[in-house]
Amino acid sequence: MKKTLLIICLSLLLVSWKLPINLGKAKKGLQLVSGATHKISEEEEYYIGRAVAANILSQYPLWKNSEVTRYLNLIGKTLVLKSERPEIFGGYHFSLLDSDEANAFSAPGGIIFLTRGIVDMAENEDELAAILAHEIQHVVAKDPLKAIKSQRMKALGTFAAGEAIGSSNQVLNIFQDSVLDISGTLLQKGYSRGQEKNADLGALDLMKATGYDPRALLAMLQKVKAVEKKKAKAFSAHPSASKRIAYVEDNLAPGSVQDSNSSRLARFKLIISRHRN
Amino acid sequence: MKQKLWLLFFLAASALLLAGKVLVVKVMRSNLLAKPDFLSNSLAPIEKGAKLELIETQGSWYLVRNAVGLKGYIHQTAVAESKKSLSGIMPGKKGASEDELALAAKGFNEGNENKLRGSKGYNFADVDWVMDWNIANSALAAFIHEGKLK
Repeated sequence: MKKTLLIICLSLLLVSWKLPINLGKAKKGLQLVSGATHKISEEEEYYIGRAVAANILSQYPLWKNSEVTRYLNLIGKTLVLKSERPEIFGGYHFSLLDSDEANAFSAPGGIIFLTRGIVDMAENEDELAAILAHEIQHVVAKDPLKAIKSQRMKALGTFAAGEAIGSSNQVLNIFQDSVLDISGTLLQKGYSRGQEKNADLGALDLMKATGYDPRALLAMLQKVKAVEKKKAKAFSAHPSASKRIAYVEDNLAPGSVQDSNSSRLARFKLIISRHRN
Repeated sequence: MKQKLWLLFFLAASALLLAGKVLVVKVMRSNLLAKPDFLSNSLAPIEKGAKLELIETQGSWYLVRNAVGLKGYIHQTAVAESKKSLSGIMPGKKGASEDELALAAKGFNEGNENKLRGSKGYNFADVDWVMDWNIANSALAAFIHEGKLK
């Protein structure tokens, strides 16, 4: 009996002792020793996101409107609570760019920008929520980080495995090049069709979970389609608004009608309408 | 007698290893909450690096105990399992997680951000304005309630 108990205790001890060490070693080997790639931590995601945002804000002026910015943050944070990544290193932040372009983008680490142009296209709070939900889903999926070229992560992995980062200028160059990879994707190239589709479908789920009407995404896409040829850029980059409308429609309950809650509509009108040009 | 002592030793060692896991806060700041709900009362603010003892898991939430013994909830996405705390009680194994954290911070960090501050093509002053926006839990709860949201 005592012998059996002893064996059980020994086994428990060995299992619980060895397992974390081996897993730790395996992970360390994957991340550092092989040098194959550098895994970006959430803290790094935050710093690269700040630099991407700084780069965007050197190209687009910030619209420092406290009332509208607060309103966007309230809508955005309501959505974030129901997302798959509600807690990120520096939290989510939503702000406005003073541009007539109808556009929206998310930097890594949860800094999300909407242009004055796309805010002007929205007719109610649910439509603003639809744009924010789409951008939040890009952050949840870490899509902005996926724009970094793999060669940069390989180089960083090699540095991490090697000497005490004597080549700090090279690391700074990798940092800057990574920022430009992401900014280029956000401002010009756009995400892949698959990434956009996932963000749209994820936005529908997020809107349903928070109580916003998911048909508002369809309404926004129809507006984007109408202006697509003239000025809308990244929010409609690709696939085209028509294709996005088709799959969004397929994922909505048949016959549902957009119904913006009256108190939401009232506060939207109070805050947004009076700041319109 | 000798056998009994061995048995006691192994029982104690097993109990120690199987006791509550230690979690480390990985976000800049969060809150220890009264309920598994972001809008519930904050019992205490928590900062990056704080160690929490895991008591139990409830869906996406952990019931934890902080350093002063206060029990509360934290969302799973705010914490990581502490490797250092595990290695710290194991003979011949120390500090691996700190090394990993140091290496992980080499690429994109505050130091490199400081080097870019003031460079052409980077407007960090406005980034600071954007990130200074914080919404109190009470304001968010009122907004959700007023808008008949969930």
